[in-house]
Amino acid sequence: MTPRRADDIIRFLCKLMNCAIVLFLLTPIIVTTLMAFDARDYLGPLPPPALSFRWFTAFFSDSYFLKGLAISLKLAACSVAISLTAGIATAYATDQTTFRGKDALIAFFLSPLVVPPVVTGFALLLFLSKIGVIDGFARLLCGHIIITIPYTIRATLAALSGIDRSYTEAALILGATKRRAFWDVTFPLARTGIISGAIFAFAISMDDVAVSIMLTDAKTYTLPIALISSMRANFDLSIAAASVMLMAMTVLLIVILEKLIGLNRAIGQGVFR
Amino acid sequence: MPAEPIIRFDSVTKSFGALAAVDGISFAAVAGETIALLGPSGCGKTTTLRLIAGFEDPDRGTIEIAGESMIGKRPYERNVGLLFQHYALFPHMTVAENIAYGLRHRHWPKAEIATRTTEMLRLVQLDGFGPRRPQQLSGGQQQRVALARVLATKPRLVLLDEPLSALDAKLREELRLELKQILAATGSTTIVVTHDQDEAMGLADRIIVMNRGRIEQQGAPAEIYAKPASRFVASFMGRSNWLDGTAKATHRGPFANVVLDNGLILNIANPGLADDTPVSLGIRPERITLGQPADEDRVTGANQFGGQILGVTDMGAETHYRVTSPAGPLTVVRPNSGEHRFTAGEPVRLGFCAEDCLVFPHPAAPR
Repeated sequence: MTPRRADDIIRFLCKLMNCAIVLFLLTPIIVTTLMAFDARDYLGPLPPPALSFRWFTAFFSDSYFLKGLAISLKLAACSVAISLTAGIATAYATDQTTFRGKDALIAFFLSPLVVPPVVTGFALLLFLSKIGVIDGFARLLCGHIIITIPYTIRATLAALSGIDRSYTEAALILGATKRRAFWDVTFPLARTGIISGAIFAFAISMDDVAVSIMLTDAKTYTLPIALISSMRANFDLSIAAASVMLMAMTVLLIVILEKLIGLNRAIGQGVFR
Repeated sequence: MPAEPIIRFDSVTKSFGALAAVDGISFAAVAGETIALLGPSGCGKTTTLRLIAGFEDPDRGTIEIAGESMIGKRPYERNVGLLFQHYALFPHMTVAENIAYGLRHRHWPKAEIATRTTEMLRLVQLDGFGPRRPQQLSGGQQQRVALARVLATKPRLVLLDEPLSALDAKLREELRLELKQILAATGSTTIVVTHDQDEAMGLADRIIVMNRGRIEQQGAPAEIYAKPASRFVASFMGRSNWLDGTAKATHRGPFANVVLDNGLILNIANPGLADDTPVSLGIRPERITLGQPADEDRVTGANQFGGQILGVTDMGAETHYRVTSPAGPLTVVRPNSGEHRFTAGEPVRLGFCAEDCLVFPHPAAPR
């Protein structure tokens, strides 16, 4: 009886721990969301007595935030486009060949994940000033390509290495050139992985503070930078509204991702065998 | 004048690192012929196939298809068909799109592609399966789609890579007959790569047995089975009872003797070896006749002795006996065609002909 009791207690404690962690993760999000809809114009005790969209309206009537959002979206789109193209090419080339030190090279491609973003940002700032790149957007673009490319390379590489070599060979022996075989067979089969890499890269770019804060200037700043500097200047709840919208976007991306991967699972083992 | 070969290999060598996967092999196939490359894994048969397909280039030697050198030619410049072991049907395309893939890259007009696709589906008895996805089909159906895709472009040469190995035993037999029939109907020149003796014997007009990158023997299936050129071929093609001994009396004309390590003397056809050569002697289990101890009419052959049944396994079409004998325990296979069936413990008389003894220099002995 006693060992069973001990088991039960441990299981109960595990469940309790689970609940505590979920609560810990969820509370800030709930608080932020509540505050974003708070109708009062001062920071009062929770819960708010009335709800409104006033902070969302405030956000969208503030040109400082809107400019940050526009730059963030443009930056994310450009950096994902570039790091996706470069990532696919790199991953394809790496997947096609075998050589000594291949694993080391792959690890090197992923190194921006390991280097602290502040270091990346600072190093890039010094380097770009040295070679005379002073345009804010160009600087930010460089930084964002560096932090997004590990995601596109890694996702594409994983997708490519899951594709049996015989699919490409079948296309070749049936008369397709290497280029055609890539577009007809390799790319469609790797598409799910490539898209999930792109979505991750987009989210990373939209979210980044540490690298951007080094490379930003007075006229060119991203939304997260705009949020932080406005929080320092005059704290109001349009920041909470912006956070809620960023969260909504992330959730949307995750849903898309889940749909894609779910779809992939539904198609069956065929794709990645 | 012999027909112009469709494919000709001349002293082709291909190494990976220090290992010669294919080591100076030469062979040819004429139009309409089906050749099997048979051997254990690592014997070089798959590399040979990949050299023909153009996925690998040879280090030395020449490969010609229809008299044209293939050196430096890309796979898509060769007009060769390859049926992959696991079919490699494109999972994101329908069955019809899979079959049409090669035709699209040969720039056939749309209407002709549609006609040809329907024709191919009919050939492999899958009419109406065009709109389905490959993964909705059974293994046997996938294999037939893959075959249709290979044959649609009318390739000069059809390569089959272990075509039946992914199927279960019963389906394998069915599809082997069907495959053979389809290949004959389309007049395809075919090279089958396999490690399965049944697959090779069932499909091929000629078998090339490979071992360690070299050709051990080539010839008609029955010939290779009956007269294997080496101990390797004999043990790879079918089963044998192997006995060790020494060749004796080899100068006396058509017959000679083998003295087994336990002293028993067997009569053999003269193997053309020097006296006292250590040898391995193989006897096919189905070449040994069994009878009751007094039954001298039924038991035939120059080698006869008494024994006792150790164990009996009824396989349906035939019975496998394990028999003790002065030569050691032997496996004997008899067809279940109304013959007397022995039971365990029964004393028997067994015999086999001198000509049925396959004698090779002992593999462990220096040549």
